[in-house]
Amino acid sequence: MRVLAILFLILQTAAAAAQVRSVELRTPRSFGYVLGDLLQVRIDIALDPGSTVQRASLPKPGPVTYWLDLRDVAVERMAGGIRLRLTYQSFYAALDARRLEVPGFTVALASESPGGTTTAQAEIPPWSFGVSPLREVQPEKRDDPADYLQPDGRARRLDPQPAAMAALVLAGLGLLALGLLAYDRAWFGRRRGRPFALAARRLRRLAETDPDGYREALRLIHRGLDETDGRRLLADDLPAFLDRHPAFRPEGESLGRFFEASRRAFFGREVQAAREGWPWPELQAALRRLAAAERAA
Amino acid sequence: MNPPRPGDAMLTDWREAAGRFEAEVAKAVVGQARAIRLVTIAIFARGHVMLEGDVGTGKTTLLRAVARALGGAYERIEGTVDLMPTDLIYHTFLGSDGRPRVEPGPVLRQAEDLSVFFFNEINRARPQVHALLLRLMAERTVTAFEREWHFPNLQVFADRNRVEREETFELPAAARDRFLMEIGMEAPRDAGTRRALAFDPRFHDTDRLIAEVAPAVLDHASIGGIASAIQHAVAAAPEIETYVVALWDALLRPAEAGIRLAGIDMEHLVQGGASPRGLAFLVRAARVRAWLEGRDWLVPEDIRAIFPDVMAHRIFLEPIHEMRRAEIVPALCRAVFDRVPAP
Repeated sequence: MRVLAILFLILQTAAAAAQVRSVELRTPRSFGYVLGDLLQVRIDIALDPGSTVQRASLPKPGPVTYWLDLRDVAVERMAGGIRLRLTYQSFYAALDARRLEVPGFTVALASESPGGTTTAQAEIPPWSFGVSPLREVQPEKRDDPADYLQPDGRARRLDPQPAAMAALVLAGLGLLALGLLAYDRAWFGRRRGRPFALAARRLRRLAETDPDGYREALRLIHRGLDETDGRRLLADDLPAFLDRHPAFRPEGESLGRFFEASRRAFFGREVQAAREGWPWPELQAALRRLAAAERAA
Repeated sequence: MNPPRPGDAMLTDWREAAGRFEAEVAKAVVGQARAIRLVTIAIFARGHVMLEGDVGTGKTTLLRAVARALGGAYERIEGTVDLMPTDLIYHTFLGSDGRPRVEPGPVLRQAEDLSVFFFNEINRARPQVHALLLRLMAERTVTAFEREWHFPNLQVFADRNRVEREETFELPAAARDRFLMEIGMEAPRDAGTRRALAFDPRFHDTDRLIAEVAPAVLDHASIGGIASAIQHAVAAAPEIETYVVALWDALLRPAEAGIRLAGIDMEHLVQGGASPRGLAFLVRAARVRAWLEGRDWLVPEDIRAIFPDVMAHRIFLEPIHEMRRAEIVPALCRAVFDRVPAP
C-alpha cells in the first residue's frame, strides 16, 4: 500500500510560478515501521524544460533529528522534471503505535535563459509515517535476563569452494601473465628472435607479380638466415650453417636451391631463370617450413 | 655453374691447365691447398706474391715448385743486410785472366725472358733494394747499362719469415701495396699430413721433391694474354659492385659500419690504406677465382675467398694497434664480412 500526496505549491514569484508545476511525494507505505527500518521516499518535481536543481540546496545525508537519519540523496532526471530519492532510517524506539512527522525542506531550482539565470524554490512539504513498537512494554517475567534476548535469524552457510577455486584460477592466470611479460621483456636472458617468422609475415605483403618482388623475397630469406646465424651467410657457408643449426637440416635441400636461385638472380642477372628454377610457391612453402623449423629449434 | 659459351673454349682449356698446374705443385707441397690456390690465382691475375710464415713451413719449397711448374726463366736471390740494388743488376769479379769483368746480375741475366724472380727473405734486404723492386714490380722495367729492360712476363715472388725482427727492414707501404697478395703459410693442421711431413723421407730431400714436379705445365709466355681474357670474360653484376664498395667502406670506417671488436676503440683503429689499386687487385683476383671455379660471373664468395690475402696487408692501423696486427686485421676482415650484406 502506498500513500500518495499531491501538493500544489503557492509560489512566491511569477517567474517561479512558471517553473515548478507540481511536487509529488511518495512512500511505499505510511505505517508499520519499526526501529531501524529504512524509509524510501520518492519526490517527483515537475518542472518547465531547461530548469535544473541546485545540488547545494539538497539536504545533506546525516542526522535529521535524534531519531531520524538521512542516509542517501539521489537526483534523477525524468521526463518533465526531476526525481529525488531520499533514504531515511528511523531509530525511534516506539512504545506504542504513533505517527512521526518528518520536516519538509526547500529545493532551489535554476533556469538558464538568454536574459540571465532565474531561480525558483520548490517547497517539499513535511510528511509523516507511523511507527510501531518491536516488543510489548511489559514482557513476561523471566528468571534469567538472558532469556529476554531473542535468537538471531539463521544465516545461510556459504560454500567457500567456488570462491577458493576462482581465487586459485585467477592466481594461476596472474602468474601466467607475469611469465609472459617476463618472456616478452626478456627479464631472464635474451629472447630468441624469430627472423623467419618475421620474413614470412613480410613475404605475405610482397606482390608475386612485382618484377622486383622475387629478388625482394630472396632478400628476406637472406636476412632471416643472416639473423639466425648472427653473420652474413653466403652460399658456400650452407654446410657449416646446417652443422651449427641442426634444426634446419631437413631444409638443407631447399636452402641449397634457394642459394642457387639467389646467385642467379643477384649475381648472374638471370632473375627469370632463377624464378623458373625455384618458383614462387616453392619459395613461400620453403619459408613457411623454415619458420616452423625455427619454432621447433 | 653456367655452361661456358663456345667462344670460351680457350678459357676452358686454360682452366684445365690451371688444374694440372695445381695438381703438380701439390705433389711437392702437401697440406697447403689454400696457398696453392691463391698462388694460382695470383699467376693468372699477373700479380706479385709475398709469402709469409714461420720458418720451415714450406714457403721456399712452394715457390720453387711453382717456378718449375710455371716454366720460363727463373732467378732467385737471398736478401741480406749488405745486399745493394746494384747486386741485383750486375756483379763484378776478376776473371781467370786477371781482368775485371762486369756481368749482368740476377735480374738481367736471363734478359727479358725472366718469368719468375724469387726474392728469398726479402725483409733482410735494405730499403734501397726495396726501392728498386718498386719499379720492377709496378712497371716491370729496369734501367741498366744505359738502356731500359722490359720483363713482360715477370712475376715477383718474395718470402719473409715473421718470427725474426733482428737485422730486418720492414717493407715500405708502397712496396707492400704492389704485391697482389700476402699469403700467410701455416704448418698443416691435419695430423696425417703432419706425420708424413715429419717421417716420410720423400719430404726430406727438397731438390728431389721439386724434381717430381712436371716442368712447364703452363705456357708462361701466353699467361699475360689469357689473364686479360679472363678479366674481360668474367662479368660483375651491379650487386657485386655495390658489395665490394660496401666492404671497402666498412674496412676503412669500421665504426660507422657498426663493427665492434673486443677491447678496441673502433673510431681510432684504421688509419688508412686499402688503396684503390688494392681494390682493383681485389676484383682482378676475384675474377680469376670465379674463372677457376668455372663461372663467368662473380659471386660474393669469390671476393671473400681472396679478401684477407689481398687486402690485409694494405690496411694501416693506428700505431698503438700495429703491434697486435696479426690478430686484429684477420678479426676485422671477418667482422666486415659478417656485417656487410651480400645481396
